[in-house]
Amino acid sequence: MDIIVCLKQVVDPELPARDFAIDPATRRQVREGRPLVLSTYDENALEVALQMKDHQGAKVTALTIAPQATVGDTVRLALAMGADEAVVIDDPRSPELSGPARARMLAAVIRKIGRYDLVLTGCESADLVERLIAPLLAEELGAACVTFVARIDAADGPLVVRRQADEGYHVVEARLPAVLSVTSDEANRPRLPKVKDIVTAKRKPVQIWTPGDLGSMADDGGVEVRDVAIPQRTGKCEFLTGDPAQQAEALALRLRELKLL
Amino acid sequence: MESSWLRALVVLALVVVAGAIFTRKLLLVYRLIRLGAGPVPLAPPGERLRDLVAQVLGHRKVLRRPLAGVLHLFIFWGFLVLLTTIIQAMGEAFSPGWTLPVIGQPPLLAALQDLFIALVLIGVGMALWMRLVSRPRRLEGQDRRGAYLILGFIGGIMITLLLSRAGQIVLESPAWAPGAALSGFVAGAIAGAPRAVVRGVFEVAWWGHLLIILIFLTWIPEGKHLHLITLVPNILLKKARPRGALAPIDIEQAEHLGISSIEHSTWKDMLDAFACMECGRCVEVCPANATGKELDPRRLHTDLRTHLTRVGSARLAGGEAADAPALVGGVFSEAFLWQCLTCGACVEECPAANDHIDKIVGMRRHLVMEEARVPDTMGDALRSLEARGHPFRGAGLSRTAWTAGVEVKTLADGGRAEWLLWVGCASALNERNHGSLRALVRVLQRAGVEAAILGDEEACTGDPARRMGNEYLFQQLAQQNIETLNRYGVRKILTACPHCYNTFKNEYPQFGGQYEVWHHTQLLARLVEERRLAPSEAVPLTVTFHDPCYLGRHNGEYDAPRRVLAAIPGVRTVEMAQCRERGFCCGAGGGLYWVEDRVGQRINHVRTDHATATGAQVVATACPFCMLMLEDGVAAREAKIRPMDVAELLGRSLAGGSAERSGG
Amino acid sequence: MPGILVVAATAEGALSRSSLELVGGARALDASLGSGVSAALLGHGLGSTGAAEALHQHGVATVYRVDHPALTAGQSDAYLAAAEQVARTAKPDVVLVGADTVGREVAPRLAHRLAGALVTECTELAVEGGAVVVRRQAYGGRALATLVVRGRPAVLSVKPRSLDAPEPAPVAGSVVDVDAQIDPNALPTRVREVLREKSEVGLEDAQVVVSGGRGLGGPDGFKMIEELAAMLGGAVGSSRPPADAGWVPISWQIGQTGKTVRPALYVAVGISGATQHVAGMAGSRTIVAINRDPEAPIFGVAHLGLVGDYREIIPPLIARIKELKAR
Repeated sequence: MDIIVCLKQVVDPELPARDFAIDPATRRQVREGRPLVLSTYDENALEVALQMKDHQGAKVTALTIAPQATVGDTVRLALAMGADEAVVIDDPRSPELSGPARARMLAAVIRKIGRYDLVLTGCESADLVERLIAPLLAEELGAACVTFVARIDAADGPLVVRRQADEGYHVVEARLPAVLSVTSDEANRPRLPKVKDIVTAKRKPVQIWTPGDLGSMADDGGVEVRDVAIPQRTGKCEFLTGDPAQQAEALALRLRELKLL
Repeated sequence: MESSWLRALVVLALVVVAGAIFTRKLLLVYRLIRLGAGPVPLAPPGERLRDLVAQVLGHRKVLRRPLAGVLHLFIFWGFLVLLTTIIQAMGEAFSPGWTLPVIGQPPLLAALQDLFIALVLIGVGMALWMRLVSRPRRLEGQDRRGAYLILGFIGGIMITLLLSRAGQIVLESPAWAPGAALSGFVAGAIAGAPRAVVRGVFEVAWWGHLLIILIFLTWIPEGKHLHLITLVPNILLKKARPRGALAPIDIEQAEHLGISSIEHSTWKDMLDAFACMECGRCVEVCPANATGKELDPRRLHTDLRTHLTRVGSARLAGGEAADAPALVGGVFSEAFLWQCLTCGACVEECPAANDHIDKIVGMRRHLVMEEARVPDTMGDALRSLEARGHPFRGAGLSRTAWTAGVEVKTLADGGRAEWLLWVGCASALNERNHGSLRALVRVLQRAGVEAAILGDEEACTGDPARRMGNEYLFQQLAQQNIETLNRYGVRKILTACPHCYNTFKNEYPQFGGQYEVWHHTQLLARLVEERRLAPSEAVPLTVTFHDPCYLGRHNGEYDAPRRVLAAIPGVRTVEMAQCRERGFCCGAGGGLYWVEDRVGQRINHVRTDHATATGAQVVATACPFCMLMLEDGVAAREAKIRPMDVAELLGRSLAGGSAERSGG
Repeated sequence: MPGILVVAATAEGALSRSSLELVGGARALDASLGSGVSAALLGHGLGSTGAAEALHQHGVATVYRVDHPALTAGQSDAYLAAAEQVARTAKPDVVLVGADTVGREVAPRLAHRLAGALVTECTELAVEGGAVVVRRQAYGGRALATLVVRGRPAVLSVKPRSLDAPEPAPVAGSVVDVDAQIDPNALPTRVREVLREKSEVGLEDAQVVVSGGRGLGGPDGFKMIEELAAMLGGAVGSSRPPADAGWVPISWQIGQTGKTVRPALYVAVGISGATQHVAGMAGSRTIVAINRDPEAPIFGVAHLGLVGDYREIIPPLIARIKELKAR
């Protein structure tokens, strides 16, 4: 089985609030000087792919779009965890790509790679949380699509996966090729790489392509980012007053205002 | 004394047989040890000789347990002195009338010999008392039958010696008899018996004495009494490394990372295993063991010895011990290996000069680097270290958040100062320690000491990674930090974190990072003594000091923090029973800050109880990890005692108020 | 007829609350755009449920109805085919889809098939200067993005519970039955089974976490916590002492040596706020603390604080939330 895992490099979501900033020019998060990490759920997706490799044999290709200058650690981590090879689309503009443009570019690469049975990715990116890569990739590739997959129940016959759903789980059977987005689960906690593998990862093949290799990528998609604002925290805790019933009432209303109900 | 060629022949035969058995067994031990890897760099000869005198002749560590120490001292010196009687007896067996060269057989020597016969017997009595009546915890798990047998041997050797000497006095009235008071006393008791009976007693005692000694000799190379042979070389072959340092490995070149099989151990590790006398002093001081965990530092050596003998013997015979358990996960469970705090209490206590930490970290290295097997939350800490240069996953603070309200320059902003104040992640990223840092900076400013920080350019020294066994990550962090420090030309480093202190001082030199490193309590003590700081406001508190392991045991600094406390007017200090060399780890060392302490009692709760038991109002410490663990323990125990950093207490006593409310 | 199309996917034929929320959003947009609101009512056995009438009651004039046996719980491919068919018939400018299990898969693919513009997980919809403007959370809730959607059709998926359900505004409406021609055997995915487990939604993924601490006094206190969590659709967590004491499973522990969570809402009940614990939850978007001790460090990280006995605060809170949700 050939598995391609799409990985995104994001600014550490645990960044201290002080270091979180939006670049007014690009309306994207400032990346310079911030630690870059693999987007959380992408690591779970990679783990799922590696477990399939361990259990039934598979070739796992890690695929990422990122400026090559900053990509090193991400791809090396994927290779060290056990991916067989990596493809990097060296695009200096990639942090600014919209979700749909990113999906188109990934699809173009995957078509160029050619051989795949499964394409895996995280259920959402830790930065934009758009949850659209897997469905769009499925459309682009004409593949089956299941999102929020918690685990793969069977892959030897028809592919059977367990999708996290509002009411519990859906057991979904999917045809191949399929694009799956993966959510975290007890069973797919990302492994730590072995040091030996970190060292040998340095010798694993990394193909570096430029967006130019993929043909034209019309962008925009008819959506313009007008503004990205950081809500200011007043800093102090706001105490709700009154007797217990009044406090409860006030809290319920505040939760409603905050759209948390 | 009567003699014959027959007696000489029998003695000779017995000695040859016993000697052959002994030599054969010892040779096996030697060959097993030689299976270990080398080379092991050795400490300077002077230091090794000094240790030999102090530990072997002086019994320095053994004497820390008075009962066991004194009894062992009696037996040890007894055997040295009574070696003269054995030589004498052997000589007489071959050449009647033979005496020791130079010394001869004066009454004074006989007096000394008799004195030690008595002392050894007293020692054996004390040992029996200890095993049967006082029964310290450390002796649980020891090979009891072996221990009684050994005591029987020693007692037997003494009693037969005494009887043969008494018989000799009665039969021959030798020239030395006037000196031998005890033997003379026994002689008086049997003198009235018929001569043939006395002769019989003498012969039985004499042969019994010889036989027991020879049987004992063949027994020495098995079990704990091998330390009679191995201890001296073990001390003489001490490793050339400061206590707090772990040995580096060359990741690129190494064929294996860490220890997963006997041949990965060094010959010194193996010698250690054979030098263990199973005294259990390590067990008694181990905080993990004391709180009911699986870790047993004695087993580390005894089980290693058993495993080594089994696997190594097979290998020497050209085969493999097929059914032998794996070293890691079999002989030592993963839980066992992950419970070690690397606090060094066992190492400090061990009279055989064994090193436990190297072996445990060696096996952790295998687990982490070759198997990627590590407790989940430790794994998270390692990932965080890798991604963001600190192990505190989820810390929402920046490295300079603590500077609010104090003036500190970063080197990047052109700050030039005599000292680099190395803040450390545990201080910078945990709010509780911010008050300690600010107190320290204010105190330094009062004394006119200039210190700048690295701010965001600081990364973890790598201490947690190294102790968790991720040498690879440690070396990356070390190289990165050394590069940063050298770029700014840093020469003097001041830090409030004993872990950072230890790493800079003892481990960075392995990678070319040479700095003058001071712990903040050392500098504060100096400033107070040079009168650059004048603590004048009374701080009327009873304070007990908790020794951080990496300041105390690993670096021998027990006094500086106490000197600072002593200089604060109003402070009354009380000590916990477990202080200084016997300090009890807070529970955070060895990377265990990042795992939940769920087996048995919590170490930090127990340590909090120690502090509370002194009746002190404040438990002072000088380590950000200890601080977090003590705060946690105090909260859990709902104790009244308050953890404070030494710098916070000092700050309070400086006129004009350098203090702020902190902690609590 | 160009306008706003609401995709009302039904699992058992009944109109869901989130479909009504979409209708509310559509009507608000329509107030500026004035191009009319229609709905794609998708499901099986729709004739008897009154779903079409309910849509008319809430101001939707035209209801395109696709009634097909393949339109059952979780069958995203079938819903996608049906929605596509309706959209090609209705030719709307704006399509609203609920970002639930099915909608998350449908919306992007629908936008792709219609060659439209796409924004997912919107929390606010508006028309400004004639343009459709939407807002959504970004960077794990640390920022709010405002986007202008110029492409047509604009396919917008809307986060459930972010729009208000509308007041009734009955209109005389019509129902247009659309034959979607779905071949169940040709669908690339098929839901074999729906496991209605009590959501094992990992603590780490939950959008709402209600946590209890030592202050709950014992395992019984957690019953109230679980009830509140269920009411908020969230997971239950704990600080260390309850996990230590065995009141709750160790897997519930949040903190430096437990799990890390960053939900939209974190409610800390009877938790003092030790560094240990805070490290595991400080990234939460809104933190509510309920504690008897006004000096508890948890109030240092909380946004909203309630000082008092949780036993007196939580029952009326649950009651009030129930009321608000029922509206």
